[in-house]
Amino acid sequence: MAIDPVCGKEVDEAVVRATTGQTEGGANEVDPAQGTRRFHDGKWYYFDSVDCRFRFMANPAAFIK
Amino acid sequence: MEFAYTPAQRALQKEVQDFIAKEVTPEVEAEQDEIGRGPLVEAVYDKIKANGWRAISWPKQYGGQDGNRLDQYIVEEEFARVGFSVGGGGSGAPTILAGGNQEQKDKYIAKLISGEWSFCQGFTEPQGGADLAGLQCRAVKDGDDYIINGQKMYTTGAHRATHIYLMARTDPDSKRNAGISIFLIPMDTPGITVRPLWSIQNEPRAPRGTTYGENRTNETFFEDVRVPANCLLGEENNGWNLSAMGLNLDRVGASRYLISVRRDEDIVNWVKDPANADLAANIKDNPSARDRIAECWTEAQVCRLMTLRSMSIVEHEGKFTYEGSAEKVWAPEHGVKTTETIAALLGPYAQLLNGAEDAIESGLYAHNVMGAFQSGINHGSTQIMRDQVALRGLGLPRSR
Repeated sequence: MAIDPVCGKEVDEAVVRATTGQTEGGANEVDPAQGTRRFHDGKWYYFDSVDCRFRFMANPAAFIK
Repeated sequence: MEFAYTPAQRALQKEVQDFIAKEVTPEVEAEQDEIGRGPLVEAVYDKIKANGWRAISWPKQYGGQDGNRLDQYIVEEEFARVGFSVGGGGSGAPTILAGGNQEQKDKYIAKLISGEWSFCQGFTEPQGGADLAGLQCRAVKDGDDYIINGQKMYTTGAHRATHIYLMARTDPDSKRNAGISIFLIPMDTPGITVRPLWSIQNEPRAPRGTTYGENRTNETFFEDVRVPANCLLGEENNGWNLSAMGLNLDRVGASRYLISVRRDEDIVNWVKDPANADLAANIKDNPSARDRIAECWTEAQVCRLMTLRSMSIVEHEGKFTYEGSAEKVWAPEHGVKTTETIAALLGPYAQLLNGAEDAIESGLYAHNVMGAFQSGINHGSTQIMRDQVALRGLGLPRSR
């Protein structure tokens, strides 16, 4: 389990990344209701919601411990 | 400079208009409304392709006709009015043709202009918005391959595309627009994940004919995506120059003009339609309203002329620097002005969205207002475009 650095909730990385289907071009597709993630400074961070991610992006230093 | 079409071009225009009148039937339009591209729409696209209209101006060796860019524009313009995109090549193809090696041209161009393959753009990232120079997606050389990690935002069409045209940083120590490269990557490459992002046009669904009515865009994730070095377009770390050229080339065509001015045509046709006589009476007999519509329509012709100038430059292999950017400032801002004008003229009923009782034209004008604001942001915001005009067009110093 990852911890959303903004709201502190647990986020299951496997669920966020779980494939729910495929695009027409053959890429894996995921469920947008299951949180999201962010590649920042060479590392993936997991978030409970897009709102949390936007807050993180506005000031990453405030949330990275 | 001759602005009128030649007799041959007028004949081509008439041929396309007759084709549309015959082939784009109410049943085809109903399918467009319900599911977008179904079997009936695909059948029309097959006939368009059979007529050679997808690739008039592309080189013969890639399936085109070595024809005139203006002929291509005439075809694009007519089909765009009924919701068909027949430009051929789409995003990416002009840049591959201009900056790719022969192997890449042979591999991609014919399939792109035939519509068999298509690209989505992997440029924007969540933290940077339209500021492409701040991108963090990384591509690290590993033997004969690159390994890519990162995330792209607003990858419209990623759920349909066969390939992605990706900007990634190949020199991690570089700043801003240095150290960026472009990769051409199949979407079925392991490690690519697409996450839907539903737009403001999704609930309720924007009606057919809405400008920027796309109900879905995407985020696209790259996690240890391994691609061979021949996916690199042009030279390593030269992606910024390639993308600037490519974006300008992508902006050349009927679609940019029509996205912004189709609503001018819509409102004129709506006012003239006898079926709308009651609602339109206060507009067509009102001098102030007539003036505002005439003003918008006149500005729309400026959009058209700017588009034609850009195409003329490309056609004559002239130096293409700021013109596409200038067009990208004028046309979206004109679009915002027009949608606001129409909403004001039509009054409260024009605020109702698709599905609402008494909505005018299935909420078309209300959805257009939302789409018009979007057009000033995507594909390079009008602020960035102004900066490009100042820098590349006027030679002013770079802003700090």
